[in-house]
Amino acid sequence: MSSSSRPIRWPSFYFGTVVILWEGSGADCQSYFQSAPSSPTDRKLAHDRHRQFDPTTTPVALCLRMPASADWGFPSPLEDVSGQIAIAGVGEADHTKASGRTPRQIAAQAVERALADAGLAPEDVDGIMYTPFDGQQLTADDYRAHFGTTHDMWVSTQGGGMVWAGSAPHEAALAIRTGKARAIVNVFSVAWATQRAEMMGGPGEVHAAELFKQNLEVPFGWFPQPVYFATIARRHMHEYGTTPEQLGAIAVACRRHANLTPAAVMREKPLSLAQYLASPPLCDPFRKEDCCLISDGGGAYVMTSVERARDLRKPVVEVAGVGVGNSRTGAYWSQQGDFTATPQVFAAPGAFRMAGLTPADVDVLACYDPFTIVSLMQIEDIGFCAKGEGGPFVEGTTLHFDGGRLPYNTHGGMLSHAYVLGIAHVVEIVRQLRGEAAAQVKDAEVGIYGGYTGPQASTLILRRAT
Amino acid sequence: MKFRDDFPLPDVDWPPTQPFWAGAARGELVLPRCDACRRFVWYPDGACRVCGGVKLTWTAVSGRGRLFSWSVVHRAFIPQLADAVPYVTGLVAVDEDPAVRLVTRVVDAEPGRLRVDMPGRIVFRPLRFAGVTRTVPAPFFAPE
Repeated sequence: MSSSSRPIRWPSFYFGTVVILWEGSGADCQSYFQSAPSSPTDRKLAHDRHRQFDPTTTPVALCLRMPASADWGFPSPLEDVSGQIAIAGVGEADHTKASGRTPRQIAAQAVERALADAGLAPEDVDGIMYTPFDGQQLTADDYRAHFGTTHDMWVSTQGGGMVWAGSAPHEAALAIRTGKARAIVNVFSVAWATQRAEMMGGPGEVHAAELFKQNLEVPFGWFPQPVYFATIARRHMHEYGTTPEQLGAIAVACRRHANLTPAAVMREKPLSLAQYLASPPLCDPFRKEDCCLISDGGGAYVMTSVERARDLRKPVVEVAGVGVGNSRTGAYWSQQGDFTATPQVFAAPGAFRMAGLTPADVDVLACYDPFTIVSLMQIEDIGFCAKGEGGPFVEGTTLHFDGGRLPYNTHGGMLSHAYVLGIAHVVEIVRQLRGEAAAQVKDAEVGIYGGYTGPQASTLILRRAT
Repeated sequence: MKFRDDFPLPDVDWPPTQPFWAGAARGELVLPRCDACRRFVWYPDGACRVCGGVKLTWTAVSGRGRLFSWSVVHRAFIPQLADAVPYVTGLVAVDEDPAVRLVTRVVDAEPGRLRVDMPGRIVFRPLRFAGVTRTVPAPFFAPE
């Protein structure tokens, strides 16, 4: 069996759990070693989630041309859904530090706002997508209970944040096309800021629990995610000459955007490059400003056919392309064939092909940004510059909303807006394409969300309909 | 999730990595190698990633390698590392197959003199953690 056809068998919970992000004060991680909510049902669902993108179980009829690819990963074959559905409503919950709210309360608020934005009633939405990973997300039963309805709903557990915030529209398009649902909401929420205080687990726990990591990585202190990605950053610096000033330019651009965004957790806290450089090392070469927040918050977006969206109240933002890429070494970052790349190299080409667009057509970008280096690598891997040239590319004001060459994470991203795992990134791109954003990019017509988990990446291309 | 009382010491009896830790106790670095294609398979979480071979043999290697990358960790992300910080942890590409990256701690070198790809060798030292009485011999990397 050749390496190009053999799927890696990956422990199911990788696909059900979150890649980490950090605001990090020293005591935070102590809470990660208490209890983790993960039922056998959730693990089974997580396993099923993985299977969706396994090319050996995807019907041949669904396969598009698969490009030749480097050995360490591969694209998922996805059916063409370009121009078929639109994102017709978006909503964010309140993003906060520890708030005492539950994830379901947060999710319900986000869905209420997304429905209001679309001008839809609760019964109009007959499909829901979420992730089963923590057992705390808003399910169809929760939706009906919250809104007091009894209607049937199509359900998918291939939704949520991270990679799935970008790939959910693909499955939704297939469901809408085949009449399984007319309007589908994808929703995701977290309450980790609250739960950290209650010692209910956290983003590092899944990695400490995985037995190869527990026995071969954690004993040497190579844990948790800030340490993984600091190590990746140093290798990137070695291979390409990337500098702390360049990583800092990403943090500064995101913070500036958050300062302009009313909903951002860090809206009151400016950050200059000088302040970034003066910040002490956390896990060198990272400072705490290279790492994301930990937040309570969430978001939701409602998808329907482009035709139907034209009858709703907001400008139509259509799904132009979707791509998904996979790493054969999953969440074992230490062994990834190309240590300084992301599976975006496998996800983005298919999305651009589906959309009939190129990186030069993109007006605004939002990427899942647990760490500055993950932003830098995705900017390279999606194709906005050559591999290794991300450092010089992001210097100065390249990423700024007002005149930068590539406006990036214009709400502040997970570094400075809120750590809600990418769902708010999609909300922001939709607002940009409607002309509704706080840090509005002039005349934005095409926007991209880059989703990431480590094992996978997704590329979601959105376009303002004409 | 309930972790073992001696976390973050490795479970030296966990079958998939038991030979690795048994080798460390003898002062040997041993890694699983595919009988069919002779490539090393790391981590040993299934068949050979290159050829699909299912028979792996744990094989002693020289312990020589190059420092692939590292981080100087200043914050104890887990309390058991409270008296270890700052420490240097990272990846070593082993000479016999640089695609195999061993996660380890870097010892006997000031962080300021570390360089990517610098050569060195594995030395065996006890893993010790705050609040954990037992120790386990483990492979550390000493740059040259």
